[in-house]
Amino acid sequence: MRVLARLDAAFNALYGWRWNPLYHSGALVVTCFAVLLATGLYLLLFYRTGAPYASVAAIDAQWWGGRWIRGLHRYVSDLALLAAVVHGFRMFAQRRSWGPRALAWVSGVVLLGIFFVCGWTGYVMVWDAHGQLLAAEGARLLDALPVFSEPLGRAFTGEEPLPGAFFFMNLFAHIALPIGIALFLWVHVSRLARVQLLPPRRLLWGTVGLFAVVAVLWPPPLGPEADLLRLPATVPTDWAYGFWLTASRGVAAGWVWAAGGAMALAALLVPVLTKPRAASAPPPSWVNPRYCTGCEQCYEDCPYEAISMVPRDDGREGTVGLVDPAKCVSCGVCAGSCAPMGVGPPGRTGRDQLAQVKEFLAGASLGPGDMVVVGCWYGATGSTEVAGARVFPIGCVGNLHTSVIEYLVRAGIGGVLVAACPPRDCQSREGVKWFHERMHNGREAELQERVDRGRIRVAYAAAGEARVLRDALAGFRAHVRLLEAAPGEHDFNVGAECEVEETAT
Amino acid sequence: MTVRRAAAALLAIAATTGIAWLSTAPTDFLGDAGAAVRLSWRVDGVPVEACRTRTEEELAALPVHMRSPLECERTLAPFALDVDLGGRPVVRDTVFPRGVRGDRPLYVFRDFPVAPGRTAVSVRFEALAADGAEGVPTRYRWNGEVQLNSGDVALVTMGEDGQLELRTPES
Repeated sequence: MRVLARLDAAFNALYGWRWNPLYHSGALVVTCFAVLLATGLYLLLFYRTGAPYASVAAIDAQWWGGRWIRGLHRYVSDLALLAAVVHGFRMFAQRRSWGPRALAWVSGVVLLGIFFVCGWTGYVMVWDAHGQLLAAEGARLLDALPVFSEPLGRAFTGEEPLPGAFFFMNLFAHIALPIGIALFLWVHVSRLARVQLLPPRRLLWGTVGLFAVVAVLWPPPLGPEADLLRLPATVPTDWAYGFWLTASRGVAAGWVWAAGGAMALAALLVPVLTKPRAASAPPPSWVNPRYCTGCEQCYEDCPYEAISMVPRDDGREGTVGLVDPAKCVSCGVCAGSCAPMGVGPPGRTGRDQLAQVKEFLAGASLGPGDMVVVGCWYGATGSTEVAGARVFPIGCVGNLHTSVIEYLVRAGIGGVLVAACPPRDCQSREGVKWFHERMHNGREAELQERVDRGRIRVAYAAAGEARVLRDALAGFRAHVRLLEAAPGEHDFNVGAECEVEETAT
Repeated sequence: MTVRRAAAALLAIAATTGIAWLSTAPTDFLGDAGAAVRLSWRVDGVPVEACRTRTEEELAALPVHMRSPLECERTLAPFALDVDLGGRPVVRDTVFPRGVRGDRPLYVFRDFPVAPGRTAVSVRFEALAADGAEGVPTRYRWNGEVQLNSGDVALVTMGEDGQLELRTPES
């Protein structure tokens, strides 16, 4: 987690959080997939299963098109693997791999596996020495399985020329596997609302453009043609897909399978291994039907589609929210969306937050010159105090009910700095986005007009950006000093301000 | 700001070219192998039939049309594989027919690294049980010397005449 926080901070400093590629690692994989489909379709026009190497050589001879398109196809396939690994590491480090997210994790591991196999078939298509190595080694490993009546490896001994049917089957697999990728991608994001499949345009076109330029200036060399009666010597090798070749050759196939199987099993078991004990696992949200007005805002805002609206069974008309615990990750975004404060994880509903902030103020004895940082658990805040300002911790700014901010401001605090994670780094996916909408665009549960906006500021600071937060706080403190001392309203009646008429039955 | 942008651009270019380099990194797979002698062939095998006489009780338990006095199990004989390279034995092994019941053809598929140059090769592949194998080859041999350059593979395989033969990149 610390490594990731430092990397995030470094990339934020260079690219800004909007275009930090680490935040968009998953979307970059989808971008790569789209580029691979487009470039692959072009290459398919010229590929011949009857003369694989010659047809690729002919593609390479197209200096104006085929050569760099093949290069882009190859380089972007490597980026896809790299981005997928970074994405997986992010989810693992941020403990977003268990419970309701287990399906996304497992399908992601399967996706990575399909990407590998698809890449290997792509290199075999070229039928240069690299393809020969992959094919022969792959056949040796498959022959260790008690599946095939005739050893596959004999096809690559040089006894007979390889039949065109082999290259046809390989091409078929290379085309069919992306269908599997699309299918598993659908499964991968199936539990998410409003999936953002692509990164911001600047990052998308910048990445594709950069790789296209490198493909033009430095097209991948075509290795020597495969010759089954020659041992491949020095071969231009793709280490993303062929990193295991140097290690596995000369090792018994059983050991290679054992090592690969152990890694795959460990990856698939991450949701089980990282799942916290029941006592420490954050509980899912629940809806208090007494307060629920059936407005559907929590249903709209839930980033995981864990809330549905069902007919009421308490004699009142309309619908009531119902949380599916199997889908709820306990992000608490629903708590921030509910004006009457009738939904949220136990202990983190709007009502709970108001009770907590009241207790916080009672124990802090803060005045007009003091600042309060409302900080996300996962962000830069970290401790109980930041540069002399007291910290009111919150699960996510998307979890934060705007009434808490109102309470702090109207209680006479000098200023409230909300320390949010960068939007694309939000543990709750859409917490920061909805918080912004509630603060500035009137989305339920919006910050009331009566609250002095001059005493509220939002700072985006990731876990490794304590300095960014301190700088933001210093700037805000200087701004607040210019304001007149805020009038205190410590007699603010929480119950009276927050109770909704129609629910007070 | 300009320094930051320059650093950001440099990092992006370095990362992209780094990925491109890793995608095409020249890697030596030959190492110390030098050259190789490869054995690769398939033989249908030598049938071996083990029969026993059924008892009266066993016959009575069978349907009338299946009451054959003999019960036979037909499998294929295993073969002994002996390989000498440069006059030194490198393999003394038994090759079994494939299939759960041992009734599928036998396959030999092995690589032996050798130093480039001239190497004496002796391969013997003989059935371990040849009873009742009339007209079926039970013994295969190839002896000779091969001249291999670096990276060459000498393939000992089954020729069209049903005997082992040598193929090299030049042949």
